Amino acid sequence: MNHDDQFCGYEDLAFFGKINAGISHELKNKLAVISETAGLMDDVLEMSKKPGKKQLETIVTCCKTIVEEVNRGFGVVKHMNSFSHSVDDLFTEVNLTETVALMVHITGFLSDACKVDVNSQPEFGPMVYTCPFRLQNLLYHCFVFAFKSAGLNGRIDVSITKDDDGAGRVAFSYALSQPCAPFASEDTKKIAASINAEIHIADDCRGFEILIPRLKEH
Amino acid sequence: MKILLVDDEEKFVMMLAKRLRMRKIEADYVSTGQQALEKIKHQRYDIAVLDVKMPKIGGIELKHKLNERVPDLKIIFLTGHASKADYDAAAQEDTLFLSKPVKIENLVKILHQLKNQ
Repeated sequence: MNHDDQFCGYEDLAFFGKINAGISHELKNKLAVISETAGLMDDVLEMSKKPGKKQLETIVTCCKTIVEEVNRGFGVVKHMNSFSHSVDDLFTEVNLTETVALMVHITGFLSDACKVDVNSQPEFGPMVYTCPFRLQNLLYHCFVFAFKSAGLNGRIDVSITKDDDGAGRVAFSYALSQPCAPFASEDTKKIAASINAEIHIADDCRGFEILIPRLKEH
Repeated sequence: MKILLVDDEEKFVMMLAKRLRMRKIEADYVSTGQQALEKIKHQRYDIAVLDVKMPKIGGIELKHKLNERVPDLKIIFLTGHASKADYDAAAQEDTLFLSKPVKIENLVKILHQLKNQ
């Protein structure tokens, strides 16, 4: 892993920035809903001071909306927290299924995200020893490419399996919505190379697979 | 005054529309650009308030499509947190760009000012 490589240094930072921008946008949306809902409650309470105005139902709806949005906000913060902790260890034991699930949530904030179904064998995920941050970056590139290929109304099937030698495999498959450039870009290949991951393209271009080896423990 | 709110965060526009109606502004809302294009076929609006980041048809593209059909429809962008590229693109459009959250009284004032321009 060329950790001092200038490209990877910039790419790591750019990836961190991109994810944080997406998360903060999502959080701001939740807060905007809460803010407008609280504002509406205030309006309704103001109106209820006038005789003959019964607005209890609106207040109840507003309270429900606030609770729902706060819960959605907690969900976003939870993913943000998991993502932020991925830089705690340069190399560590990573649950591949959990990492894919996290990236499904995070890339779900993208405006061109489509439906994703994940199937994992074993169910609770193969463990791989790798760099979690780079793995997330690679998966992010995979999802962004798959979203473009599948289109907004498309669906992506993600299958996670484990090889006998301990390597993990993540396969992406989808129906092509439009002709796309072949996966992967030079930047994606460099990120994959930094964790010795291999990229295999399906012959019909309707998917690809990444093989994540167990790196040697330091 | 009649306005159309377009934002993929549907609860946000629903609440905002209710609050505007309480202030005697006729406000409809939709959550996609496609729905907005349908809506203007049947209704006449003075102002459209658009989110910038939306799936399929983003706010800037939607502005062009709306103005192709209704050239005198006035537009405001209201967004959560756009990228620098979005701000730059909106600036090129010479269109008012507001950031969420916006105080309702300020928005009402801006809508009246824009309507009377």
